Amino acid sequence: MRRRSGLLFVAPALILFGVFVLYPMVTAFSYAFYHWQGTTRGGFAGLDHFVTLFTRAPFKTDMPRALLHNLLFFLGTMAFQNTIGLAVAVMLHRRPRTRRMLQTLYAMPYLVSPIVIGYLWTLLLSPTFGPVNQLLTRIGLDSWALPWLGDPDTALWVVILVSVWQWIGFPVLLYGAALGGVPEELSEAARVDGASHRQTFFRITLPLLVPAIGTVSVLTFIFAMEAFALPYAFGGSTGNPAGSTDFISLLFYRTAFDSGAADAIGTSSALATMLFIIIFGGALAATAVLRRHERRITA
Amino acid sequence: MTRRSPWKPVALAAVSSVVALTACAPSGADSSEDGGAKKTLTVWSWRVEDEAAYNKIFDVYEKSHEGVTVNFKPFKATEYNKILATGLAGSDGPDVPQVRSYGQVQATIASGSLVPLDGKVDLSGWDENVLASAKGKEDGKLYSVPLARQATVMFYNKGLFEKNGITVPTTWDEFMAANTKLAGAGITPIAVGAKDDWTLPIVHEVVGGATFGGTDFQKAVLSGEKDFTDPQWVASVKALQDLEKFMPKSVTGVAVTDAQTLFSAEKAAMFPGGSFDLATLQKANPQMQIGVLEVPPAPGAASGSEPTTAGWADGNFAVSKKSKNQAEALELVKWMATKEFGQMVADEVKQISAVPGVENKDEVLKQIGTNYDKNGSPYLLLTDFRYGAPSGTDLLGKGIQEMLLGKKDAAAVSKDLDTGVKTWFKPGA
Repeated sequence: MRRRSGLLFVAPALILFGVFVLYPMVTAFSYAFYHWQGTTRGGFAGLDHFVTLFTRAPFKTDMPRALLHNLLFFLGTMAFQNTIGLAVAVMLHRRPRTRRMLQTLYAMPYLVSPIVIGYLWTLLLSPTFGPVNQLLTRIGLDSWALPWLGDPDTALWVVILVSVWQWIGFPVLLYGAALGGVPEELSEAARVDGASHRQTFFRITLPLLVPAIGTVSVLTFIFAMEAFALPYAFGGSTGNPAGSTDFISLLFYRTAFDSGAADAIGTSSALATMLFIIIFGGALAATAVLRRHERRITA
Repeated sequence: MTRRSPWKPVALAAVSSVVALTACAPSGADSSEDGGAKKTLTVWSWRVEDEAAYNKIFDVYEKSHEGVTVNFKPFKATEYNKILATGLAGSDGPDVPQVRSYGQVQATIASGSLVPLDGKVDLSGWDENVLASAKGKEDGKLYSVPLARQATVMFYNKGLFEKNGITVPTTWDEFMAANTKLAGAGITPIAVGAKDDWTLPIVHEVVGGATFGGTDFQKAVLSGEKDFTDPQWVASVKALQDLEKFMPKSVTGVAVTDAQTLFSAEKAAMFPGGSFDLATLQKANPQMQIGVLEVPPAPGAASGSEPTTAGWADGNFAVSKKSKNQAEALELVKWMATKEFGQMVADEVKQISAVPGVENKDEVLKQIGTNYDKNGSPYLLLTDFRYGAPSGTDLLGKGIQEMLLGKKDAAAVSKDLDTGVKTWFKPGA
């Protein structure tokens, strides 16, 4: 009886998930194995579209470059967003009176659409009218007034850092919640035993945060591999300038909707399948590693 | 106690979800008969900004075609391709969709979603380059009626030219001297937004069209007699590099909207763009006197080269195969090939109509039309090199960006373009 009523409660969500997520995913997977003439399905193509991705221009050059940018985006986000986020969360944890207000403030930018954020930063960083370069010039730092989004050496880092700025509130909230779950007695006992703040943090608090760090890392990986809106707002669908802000999702968008190629559905579905395998595989591997770490800590 | 199936609640929930989804689904009344008398034709377009103009145009059509109501439904331009693909495949699509042109419409044609119009619509006497925009590459059949002719144009600020004692240059040396004079006066000579790579093939066509030789080069490259490594083509790309010093500082970081603003704010004297930019520029600064000039051939051009105005057609309208009102949809598309419709496109939508013999009231558009009629050539990379991936415009846009960043020279950019398009382009095919 309990099982049946459980099913009843789960069913609506399950059906919606099936119709709107699972079914499109499975069909996209199947599309990758057929030839296409616009929206009309042709004969069975086998692995042709996957071979195209690795052997034909522009995919054979654009795909590895875009994937590298996704990975750099992940590493940059891990290095800045999650470390700064943890530091901010720890500081806020020690200030219970202002914690709520500051957590809200840190979370504010992610309430704004990434497209709007991208547009605003594009205006701020414009070499022609942007206030950032005008300010740098006015205070005598002319050499720092770079074409931030026009130079391939800086453009990707601008995308990463603006993303960090926008999403910093996310790890702050997650780590904040995890810190709230760390028993206060453990830290107190350590301090009674003469441990410094630093020792308490690295020996007591941080190990207990590993599950939260793991969750944040896996979510960051998925987020970085799926990055679309912010890079699109900064560099358009071609990852301007000269492909330096190109990401896999942008390549997918170009292939599916911009190319006008007759076989666009097949090739883009193959790309989507590859992306899914990378994300799913990466997330599984990361979760397995983290579980092992957790077991070692709790053992 | 009777044993109840555990799947019954699931089935119940499934049924209720389907009922809920059905309730949310569109009724599909748009294209159906209205009370048995009036028929509603749905026209889809990506021109949200022209909605009022089209409603005005279709009001005129409805008056002369009693029994037909035209419902103009525009969508966001960047989303349009995927919305149209879904619409044409499903049952709630448009009767008369606005479709892309040249290579960009081939996938739609290949999917069999459009009605061939040969023998049904009379487009005799129309420009060949314009007609090519509406044809299937495979079968050569006509699938749409072109709406407008666009052209690549060098806009210039008449007031700034006059103030600096500059007349419209007729040779490359005069053109460079004009740029030098403007730069000396603290004005950005040419406003280019090289951050947006899609604009750069247009800039190249404006600056280098006369250098690579317009229509003659098109014929030579399509027949295989020449390719993009040809010295004249390379010279046309290099012309852009030579002009970099006259573009805004850090040009690869400047967005096209910033370039337009520089021109509209009269901080820049010239803006290479398309005729479709004119309305935006006029709206941004109605006081500014805008003129158009044809850039003279640069060093390296064939002797006797003449300036050109490159053009293409777009905004074509077609008939969906799934339309339930085939006869009425065809009648509407036929009307779109008449001078009456063309004149309204010129007056209301402010475009150069594709219909021959239509007069433009706007002086600048009129000038562009005259230039095209006199020295017209195809915007080669759009009209002939968008039939496969990577497209010519994508390759050149990215290549010029790399050249302006100092990573490649004109020869390398041209070579990459040639190698890229040859992955799908077969000369003489």
